[in-house]
Amino acid sequence: MQESSEARPARARNRYLPLWIAIGAVLVADLLAALVIGFPDYPTIEIEPIAPHVLFPVGPFTITNSIVTTWVIGAVIVVLAVALTRGLRLIPNPVQNAVEWIYESLANFVVSLGGPAAKRYAPLFIALFIFIVLSNWSGVIPFFGKVEWLRAPTSDLNVTAGLAIVSFCVFHLEGIRVLGPRRYFGKYFNVRGFRHGPIDGVIDLFVGLLEGLLEFLKPVTLALRLFGNVWGGEVMLSVMTALLLAVLPLPFLGLELFIGLIQAFIFAILTLVFTVLALESHDDEHATAGEHGEEGPATVKRAAAAA
Amino acid sequence: MEPIGAGLALLGVVGPGIGIGILTGLSTQAMGRNPDAAPVIRANMIIGAALAEGLGILAFVVGILLALR
Repeated sequence: MQESSEARPARARNRYLPLWIAIGAVLVADLLAALVIGFPDYPTIEIEPIAPHVLFPVGPFTITNSIVTTWVIGAVIVVLAVALTRGLRLIPNPVQNAVEWIYESLANFVVSLGGPAAKRYAPLFIALFIFIVLSNWSGVIPFFGKVEWLRAPTSDLNVTAGLAIVSFCVFHLEGIRVLGPRRYFGKYFNVRGFRHGPIDGVIDLFVGLLEGLLEFLKPVTLALRLFGNVWGGEVMLSVMTALLLAVLPLPFLGLELFIGLIQAFIFAILTLVFTVLALESHDDEHATAGEHGEEGPATVKRAAAAA
Repeated sequence: MEPIGAGLALLGVVGPGIGIGILTGLSTQAMGRNPDAAPVIRANMIIGAALAEGLGILAFVVGILLALR
Protein backbone atom coordinates (compact mmCIF):
# COMPACT_ATOMS: atom_id res chain seq x y z
CA MET A 1 0.00 0.00 0.00
CA GLN A 2 2.85 2.36 0.79
CA GLU A 3 4.66 1.47 -2.43
CA SER A 4 1.72 2.48 -4.61
CA SER A 5 1.46 5.88 -2.96
CA GLU A 6 5.21 6.47 -3.24
CA ALA A 7 5.12 5.65 -6.94
CA ARG A 8 2.74 8.52 -7.61
CA PRO A 9 4.59 11.79 -8.22
CA ALA A 10 2.92 13.80 -5.49
CA ARG A 11 4.89 16.74 -4.06
CA ALA A 12 3.23 16.93 -0.68
CA ARG A 13 3.98 13.28 -0.09
CA ASN A 14 7.62 13.57 -1.12
CA ARG A 15 8.19 16.28 1.40
CA TYR A 16 7.33 14.03 4.30
CA LEU A 17 8.89 10.90 2.81
CA PRO A 18 12.21 11.11 4.79
CA LEU A 19 10.25 11.51 8.00
CA TRP A 20 8.15 8.42 7.31
CA ILE A 21 11.24 6.45 6.35
CA ALA A 22 12.95 7.50 9.58
CA ILE A 23 9.94 6.53 11.69
CA GLY A 24 9.68 3.21 9.87
CA ALA A 25 13.38 2.52 10.38
CA VAL A 26 13.12 3.25 14.09
CA LEU A 27 10.13 0.94 14.46
CA VAL A 28 11.87 -1.81 12.47
CA ALA A 29 15.00 -1.45 14.61
CA ASP A 30 12.89 -1.64 17.74
CA LEU A 31 11.08 -4.76 16.50
CA LEU A 32 14.42 -6.36 15.57
CA ALA A 33 15.74 -5.60 19.05
CA ALA A 34 12.64 -7.19 20.56
CA LEU A 35 13.13 -10.27 18.36
CA VAL A 36 16.84 -10.51 19.22
CA ILE A 37 16.11 -10.34 22.94
CA GLY A 38 13.14 -12.62 22.48
CA PHE A 39 9.68 -11.97 23.80
CA PRO A 40 9.78 -14.66 26.51
CA ASP A 41 12.84 -12.99 28.07
CA TYR A 42 11.44 -9.53 27.78
CA PRO A 43 13.67 -7.38 30.01
CA THR A 44 12.32 -6.81 33.46
CA ILE A 45 12.45 -3.33 34.87
CA GLU A 46 15.48 -3.08 37.14
CA ILE A 47 15.23 -0.13 39.48
CA GLU A 48 18.53 1.05 40.91
CA PRO A 49 18.50 0.50 44.68
CA ILE A 50 18.52 3.65 46.81
CA ALA A 51 21.35 2.41 49.00
CA PRO A 52 24.73 2.24 47.25
CA HIS A 53 26.50 -1.09 46.92
CA VAL A 54 29.14 -1.62 49.62
CA LEU A 55 32.40 -2.76 48.06
CA PHE A 56 34.60 -3.28 51.12
CA PRO A 57 34.75 -2.04 54.70
CA VAL A 58 37.65 0.10 55.95
CA GLY A 59 37.63 0.15 59.72
CA PRO A 60 34.35 1.69 60.87
CA PHE A 61 33.65 3.07 57.38
CA THR A 62 32.55 1.39 54.22
CA ILE A 63 33.73 2.13 50.70
CA THR A 64 30.76 2.17 48.35
CA ASN A 65 30.62 2.29 44.60
CA SER A 66 29.55 5.94 44.61
CA ILE A 67 32.68 6.84 46.60
CA VAL A 68 34.84 5.07 44.02
CA THR A 69 33.12 6.98 41.22
CA THR A 70 33.59 10.21 43.16
CA TRP A 71 37.35 9.49 43.27
CA VAL A 72 37.39 8.82 39.55
CA ILE A 73 35.56 12.06 38.77
CA GLY A 74 37.74 14.02 41.19
CA ALA A 75 40.87 12.60 39.55
CA VAL A 76 39.54 13.51 36.10
CA ILE A 77 38.84 17.08 37.21
CA VAL A 78 42.26 17.47 38.86
CA VAL A 79 44.13 16.03 35.88
CA LEU A 80 42.20 18.22 33.47
CA ALA A 81 42.69 21.32 35.60
CA VAL A 82 46.43 20.74 35.89
CA ALA A 83 46.89 19.76 32.26
CA LEU A 84 44.87 22.64 30.86
CA THR A 85 46.51 25.36 32.94
CA ARG A 86 50.14 24.34 32.39
CA GLY A 87 52.30 26.92 30.73
CA LEU A 88 49.86 29.79 30.76
CA ARG A 89 50.85 32.52 28.34
CA LEU A 90 49.80 36.12 27.92
CA ILE A 91 48.74 35.39 24.37
CA PRO A 92 46.65 32.27 24.86
CA ASN A 93 46.60 29.25 22.62
CA PRO A 94 43.14 27.90 21.66
CA VAL A 95 42.90 25.50 24.62
CA GLN A 96 43.78 28.18 27.14
CA ASN A 97 41.32 30.46 25.38
CA ALA A 98 38.50 27.95 25.81
CA VAL A 99 39.29 27.39 29.49
CA GLU A 100 39.47 31.13 30.10
CA TRP A 101 36.16 31.57 28.33
CA ILE A 102 34.47 28.95 30.54
CA TYR A 103 35.89 30.43 33.73
CA GLU A 104 35.16 34.03 32.78
CA SER A 105 31.59 33.44 31.70
CA LEU A 106 30.83 31.57 34.93
CA ALA A 107 32.59 34.20 37.06
CA ASN A 108 30.73 36.99 35.27
CA PHE A 109 27.48 35.18 35.94
CA VAL A 110 28.36 34.98 39.64
CA VAL A 111 29.05 38.71 39.78
CA SER A 112 25.86 39.54 37.88
CA LEU A 113 23.83 37.47 40.33
CA GLY A 114 25.44 38.36 43.63
CA GLY A 115 27.21 41.63 43.04
CA PRO A 116 30.91 42.38 43.60
CA ALA A 117 30.77 40.86 47.09
CA ALA A 118 30.09 37.48 45.48
CA LYS A 119 33.27 37.46 43.42
CA ARG A 120 35.02 35.81 46.34
CA TYR A 121 32.75 32.78 46.00
CA ALA A 122 33.18 32.29 42.25
CA PRO A 123 35.73 29.44 42.71
CA LEU A 124 33.37 27.60 45.04
CA PHE A 125 30.47 28.09 42.64
CA ILE A 126 32.48 26.84 39.65
CA ALA A 127 33.92 23.87 41.54
CA LEU A 128 30.48 22.77 42.74
CA PHE A 129 29.03 23.25 39.28
CA ILE A 130 31.72 21.29 37.45
CA PHE A 131 31.80 18.44 39.95
CA ILE A 132 28.03 18.03 40.04
CA VAL A 133 27.61 18.33 36.31
CA LEU A 134 30.21 15.62 35.69
CA SER A 135 28.63 13.43 38.37
CA ASN A 136 25.18 13.84 36.85
CA TRP A 137 26.40 13.12 33.35
CA SER A 138 28.38 10.09 34.46
CA GLY A 139 25.04 8.37 35.10
CA VAL A 140 24.35 8.43 31.36
CA ILE A 141 27.59 6.62 30.44
CA PRO A 142 26.88 2.94 29.71
CA PHE A 143 27.44 0.52 32.61
CA PHE A 144 27.27 3.27 35.24
CA GLY A 145 24.72 2.10 37.77
CA LYS A 146 24.60 -1.33 36.12
CA VAL A 147 28.03 -2.56 37.28
CA GLU A 148 28.83 -3.02 40.95
CA TRP A 149 31.84 -0.72 40.89
CA LEU A 150 30.33 2.30 39.20
CA ARG A 151 27.42 4.51 40.08
CA ALA A 152 26.68 8.18 39.41
CA PRO A 153 27.69 9.83 42.72
CA THR A 154 24.80 12.28 42.82
CA SER A 155 22.27 9.44 42.52
CA ASP A 156 23.35 8.49 46.04
CA LEU A 157 21.75 10.46 48.86
CA ASN A 158 24.95 10.23 50.95
CA VAL A 159 26.94 12.21 48.38
CA THR A 160 24.31 14.92 47.90
CA ALA A 161 23.87 15.22 51.66
CA GLY A 162 27.63 15.65 51.99
CA LEU A 163 27.62 18.39 49.37
CA ALA A 164 24.69 20.08 51.09
CA ILE A 165 26.51 19.98 54.44
CA VAL A 166 29.54 21.59 52.80
CA SER A 167 27.45 24.44 51.44
CA PHE A 168 25.60 24.76 54.78
CA CYS A 169 28.94 25.20 56.57
CA VAL A 170 30.12 27.64 53.92
CA PHE A 171 27.22 30.02 54.15
CA HIS A 172 27.02 30.08 57.91
CA LEU A 173 30.76 30.36 58.52
CA GLU A 174 31.01 33.11 55.93
CA GLY A 175 28.09 34.93 57.57
CA ILE A 176 29.80 34.73 60.97
CA ARG A 177 33.13 35.80 59.47
CA VAL A 178 31.72 38.86 57.72
CA LEU A 179 29.11 40.03 60.22
CA GLY A 180 30.76 38.83 63.41
CA PRO A 181 29.01 36.36 65.74
CA ARG A 182 27.03 39.02 67.59
CA ARG A 183 25.38 40.55 64.58
CA TYR A 184 25.02 37.20 62.82
CA PHE A 185 23.19 35.40 65.62
CA GLY A 186 21.29 38.61 66.30
CA LYS A 187 19.48 37.89 63.05
CA TYR A 188 17.93 34.76 64.52
CA PHE A 189 17.64 35.71 68.19
CA ASN A 190 16.30 39.13 67.48
CA VAL A 191 15.60 41.17 70.60
CA ARG A 192 16.01 44.58 68.99
CA GLY A 193 12.25 44.91 68.50
CA PHE A 194 11.71 45.32 72.24
CA ARG A 195 12.89 48.88 71.88
CA HIS A 196 9.65 49.60 70.07
CA GLY A 197 7.44 47.93 72.66
CA PRO A 198 6.66 44.41 73.85
CA ILE A 199 4.37 43.38 70.96
CA ASP A 200 6.88 44.41 68.30
CA GLY A 201 9.56 42.60 70.27
CA VAL A 202 7.66 39.31 70.43
CA ILE A 203 6.82 39.46 66.72
CA ASP A 204 10.44 40.19 65.78
CA LEU A 205 11.70 37.42 68.04
CA PHE A 206 9.27 34.93 66.54
CA VAL A 207 10.12 35.91 62.97
CA GLY A 208 13.83 35.59 63.74
CA LEU A 209 13.41 32.14 65.28
CA LEU A 210 11.35 31.01 62.29
CA GLU A 211 14.08 32.23 60.00
CA GLY A 212 16.64 30.28 62.02
CA LEU A 213 14.53 27.15 61.67
CA LEU A 214 14.36 27.63 57.91
CA GLU A 215 18.15 27.76 57.81
CA PHE A 216 18.21 24.07 58.75
CA LEU A 217 15.71 23.19 56.04
CA LYS A 218 17.93 24.67 53.33
CA PRO A 219 20.53 21.87 53.24
CA VAL A 220 17.79 19.22 53.47
CA THR A 221 16.02 20.52 50.39
CA LEU A 222 19.35 21.03 48.60
CA ALA A 223 20.32 17.39 49.15
CA LEU A 224 16.90 15.92 48.40
CA ARG A 225 16.40 18.00 45.25
CA LEU A 226 19.65 16.90 43.64
CA PHE A 227 19.25 13.29 44.73
CA GLY A 228 15.61 13.08 43.66
CA ASN A 229 16.24 14.52 40.24
CA VAL A 230 19.26 12.39 39.39
CA TRP A 231 18.04 9.16 40.88
CA GLY A 232 14.52 9.68 39.53
CA GLY A 233 16.04 10.34 36.12
CA GLU A 234 17.95 7.06 36.27
CA VAL A 235 14.80 5.18 37.27
CA MET A 236 12.99 6.81 34.36
CA LEU A 237 15.82 5.83 31.99
CA SER A 238 15.80 2.20 33.06
CA VAL A 239 12.00 2.01 32.83
CA MET A 240 12.02 3.59 29.38
CA THR A 241 14.82 1.32 28.19
CA ALA A 242 12.93 -1.74 29.38
CA LEU A 243 9.74 -0.59 27.68
CA LEU A 244 11.08 0.80 24.41
CA LEU A 245 14.29 -1.27 23.90
CA ALA A 246 16.18 0.41 21.05
CA VAL A 247 16.54 3.92 19.58
CA LEU A 248 13.34 5.22 21.16
CA PRO A 249 14.89 5.78 24.64
CA LEU A 250 17.44 8.14 23.08
CA PRO A 251 15.36 11.34 23.56
CA PHE A 252 15.16 10.51 27.25
CA LEU A 253 18.96 10.38 27.38
CA GLY A 254 18.97 13.92 25.98
CA LEU A 255 16.42 15.00 28.58
CA GLU A 256 18.57 13.42 31.28
CA LEU A 257 21.65 15.37 30.10
CA PHE A 258 19.64 18.59 30.18
CA ILE A 259 18.26 17.90 33.66
CA GLY A 260 21.74 17.08 34.92
CA LEU A 261 23.07 20.41 33.68
CA ILE A 262 20.15 22.41 35.10
CA GLN A 263 20.29 20.69 38.49
CA ALA A 264 24.04 21.24 38.85
CA PHE A 265 23.47 24.88 37.99
CA ILE A 266 20.66 25.17 40.52
CA PHE A 267 22.70 23.59 43.32
CA ALA A 268 25.59 25.98 42.69
CA ILE A 269 23.31 29.02 42.30
CA LEU A 270 21.42 28.26 45.50
CA THR A 271 24.66 27.84 47.44
CA LEU A 272 25.84 31.20 46.11
CA VAL A 273 22.54 32.97 46.83
CA PHE A 274 22.30 31.55 50.35
CA THR A 275 25.87 32.66 51.01
CA VAL A 276 25.20 36.19 49.78
CA LEU A 277 21.99 36.27 51.84
CA ALA A 278 23.87 35.20 54.96
CA LEU A 279 26.22 38.15 54.50
CA GLU A 280 23.34 40.62 54.78
CA SER A 281 22.63 42.02 58.18
CA HIS A 282 19.10 42.89 59.20
CA ASP A 283 20.25 45.70 61.47
CA ASP A 284 19.56 48.58 59.17
CA GLU A 285 16.06 47.62 58.10
CA HIS A 286 14.44 49.93 60.65
CA ALA A 287 17.29 52.37 60.97
CA THR A 288 18.15 55.07 58.48
CA ALA A 289 19.04 53.63 55.12
CA GLY A 290 22.65 53.24 54.06
CA GLU A 291 24.13 53.32 57.51
CA HIS A 292 25.96 50.04 57.11
CA GLY A 293 26.34 50.51 53.42
CA GLU A 294 27.14 46.90 52.63
CA GLU A 295 23.72 46.02 51.26
CA GLY A 296 23.51 43.23 48.69
CA PRO A 297 22.43 44.12 45.18
CA ALA A 298 18.80 44.22 44.20
CA THR A 299 19.06 40.88 42.41
CA VAL A 300 19.69 38.96 45.56
CA LYS A 301 16.82 40.61 47.37
CA ARG A 302 14.47 39.61 44.61
CA ALA A 303 15.86 36.09 44.77
CA ALA A 304 15.19 36.14 48.49
CA ALA A 305 11.61 37.12 47.80
CA ALA A 306 11.35 34.10 45.52
CA ALA A 307 12.72 31.92 48.28
CA MET B 1 -1.48 -0.36 51.81
CA GLU B 2 1.94 0.91 50.78
CA PRO B 3 1.16 1.21 47.05
CA ILE B 4 -1.93 3.27 47.85
CA GLY B 5 0.14 5.49 50.10
CA ALA B 6 2.76 5.88 47.38
CA GLY B 7 0.09 6.93 44.91
CA LEU B 8 -1.37 9.39 47.37
CA ALA B 9 2.07 10.82 48.08
CA LEU B 10 2.47 11.69 44.44
CA LEU B 11 -0.54 14.02 44.75
CA GLY B 12 2.00 16.34 46.33
CA VAL B 13 3.46 16.96 42.90
CA VAL B 14 0.35 18.94 41.92
CA GLY B 15 1.24 21.96 44.03
CA PRO B 16 4.75 22.56 42.67
CA GLY B 17 3.33 22.02 39.18
CA ILE B 18 0.85 24.84 39.66
CA GLY B 19 3.55 26.97 41.25
CA ILE B 20 6.07 26.48 38.46
CA GLY B 21 3.35 27.16 35.91
CA ILE B 22 2.41 30.47 37.50
CA LEU B 23 6.05 31.41 37.99
CA THR B 24 7.08 30.68 34.43
CA GLY B 25 4.02 32.38 33.00
CA LEU B 26 4.53 35.55 34.99
CA SER B 27 8.26 35.72 34.32
CA THR B 28 7.67 35.22 30.61
CA GLN B 29 5.25 38.12 30.73
CA ALA B 30 7.80 40.20 32.58
CA MET B 31 10.48 39.32 30.02
CA GLY B 32 8.10 40.30 27.22
CA ARG B 33 7.42 43.65 28.83
CA ASN B 34 11.00 44.39 29.72
CA PRO B 35 13.36 42.42 27.46
CA ASP B 36 16.40 44.27 28.83
CA ALA B 37 15.88 42.70 32.24
CA ALA B 38 15.50 39.21 30.77
CA PRO B 39 18.77 37.73 32.17
CA VAL B 40 17.98 38.83 35.72
CA ILE B 41 14.40 37.60 35.47
CA ARG B 42 15.54 34.29 34.03
CA ALA B 43 18.04 33.71 36.82
CA ASN B 44 15.44 34.45 39.46
CA MET B 45 12.92 32.29 37.64
CA ILE B 46 15.30 29.32 37.70
CA ILE B 47 15.93 29.80 41.42
CA GLY B 48 12.21 30.02 42.18
CA ALA B 49 11.43 27.03 40.01
CA ALA B 50 14.14 25.05 41.78
CA LEU B 51 12.71 25.92 45.18
CA ALA B 52 9.19 24.98 44.11
CA GLU B 53 10.43 21.82 42.48
CA GLY B 54 12.20 20.73 45.66
CA LEU B 55 8.82 20.23 47.32
CA GLY B 56 7.65 18.05 44.47
CA ILE B 57 10.84 16.03 44.81
CA LEU B 58 10.07 15.55 48.50
CA ALA B 59 6.72 14.00 47.55
CA PHE B 60 8.42 11.88 44.90
CA VAL B 61 11.02 10.56 47.35
CA VAL B 62 8.36 9.72 49.92
CA GLY B 63 6.35 7.91 47.25
CA ILE B 64 9.36 5.91 46.06
CA LEU B 65 10.34 4.99 49.61
CA LEU B 66 6.82 3.71 50.24
CA ALA B 67 6.69 1.86 46.94
CA LEU B 68 10.01 0.09 47.45
CA ARG B 69 9.37 -0.98 51.02
